[in-house]
Amino acid sequence: MSNTTTNPDPNLAQTTPPLPNPASASTSTSTTTATPTATTPIDALLTHYLTLLDEYTTLRHTLHTLQTRLYQDLARANFAAERGVRRYGSDYYDGRMQAGRRVVGAEGGSGAEPPVTVGDGVGDEDVKEKQPEEEISDAAPGGGDDEKEMAKPVDPLRWFGILTPLPLRQAQGHAIKAVEEIIPRLATLNTAMAAVELEVRRARKKRAKAEKAEEKKLVALEEKMAEVDVNA
Amino acid sequence: MASQADYRDRQFLAVIGDEDSVTGLLLAGIGHVTAPPDNQKNFLVVDAKTDTASIEAAFERFTTERKDIGIVLINQHIADRIRNRVDTYTQAFPTILEIPSKDHPYDPEKDSVLRRVRRLFGE
Repeated sequence: MSNTTTNPDPNLAQTTPPLPNPASASTSTSTTTATPTATTPIDALLTHYLTLLDEYTTLRHTLHTLQTRLYQDLARANFAAERGVRRYGSDYYDGRMQAGRRVVGAEGGSGAEPPVTVGDGVGDEDVKEKQPEEEISDAAPGGGDDEKEMAKPVDPLRWFGILTPLPLRQAQGHAIKAVEEIIPRLATLNTAMAAVELEVRRARKKRAKAEKAEEKKLVALEEKMAEVDVNA
Repeated sequence: MASQADYRDRQFLAVIGDEDSVTGLLLAGIGHVTAPPDNQKNFLVVDAKTDTASIEAAFERFTTERKDIGIVLINQHIADRIRNRVDTYTQAFPTILEIPSKDHPYDPEKDSVLRRVRRLFGE
C-alpha cells in the first residue's frame, strides 16, 4: 500500500490498487482479472470477517489468561484448605442451586447476530448498569413450578463455608469476569462469523455462476466467429 | 433461524468439564438445578471414569432436549472425545464454546470456529 506514495512512476502506481487485506486478496486473486466488480462485495465481507476473527482470537487469549488465573487460585485454595476440607469441588455443590447469572439476548439484534450478554437475573449487583439497552431477565422464568424455588440465588461461595479463603474469592472474581465479559462476546462473534461465512459462500456461488454464463457467452461468440470465417 | 421468542427462553449457560472448570464456572453463579421432579442440572463433571456415552448424552440433552440453554461450554479435551458430534452440530442455538482446561491447554488447531475459518479460506 505504501508503494503508491513512494513509487516515482505515476502510471505504475495507478496499476497497483491498494489491497484491503492480504488474506482476502489471496483468496480472490484467481478471479480478479475475470470480473473485477464481482469480487468487491466478497472482499468487503472477508475484511469484515477478518475483523471479527481478530476480535475472536483476542478474546480467546483473554479467556485463556483468566482461566489460567482461575485454576491457579483454585489450586492455591485447595493447597491451603483447612483440615476437613478435602477439596473445593463437586462434594460441596448445592443440590438446589439457582442460576444467578443468565444469558440475556437483546431484542434489537440485527437479524443473524443478536448480541448476547450474561447478566445477574436478580439484580443485587451492578450488572444491570452495564447493559442499559438490553433486556434484563426476570428473576422468575416462565415455568410455573419453578417459581416456588426461585427465591434468591445464594452466592456460590457460601457452599464452601462462611469464611472462605481469599484465593477462592479471587477465583470467583476471574470466573465472573469470564462469564460476564468474555463468553457472551465469544458466543455473539461465533454467530456473527457463521452468518458472514454463509454470505461469503453465497457471494462466491453467485460469482461462479456469473463466470460460467460469461464463458458460455464467449464460447458462443467464438463459434459464431468461426462460422463467419468458414462462410467467408 | 430460530425465532426471537425461542431465543429469549434460552437463559442458562451449561457446562461439561473437569471438576476445576465446573467449580470455577459455578462459582460465577451459572449453576442451576430445576424443580424436584426433574432435578436436571445444567452441568456435568467429567473425570477419568466418565464414559463417552454419558458425555454424549449430556451434550445431546443440553443442545437438543432442553430449550432453556443458550450457551454450552465444553472443555476442549472433552469435546475431542465427542469431536464428531461437536463438529457436525449446526444449530444456531445453543452456541457451543470450547474452553481450555487445567491439564489440557487450548489448542487453536482443534477449535471448531478456527476450523471453519480454515475451511472458508481453503476452498
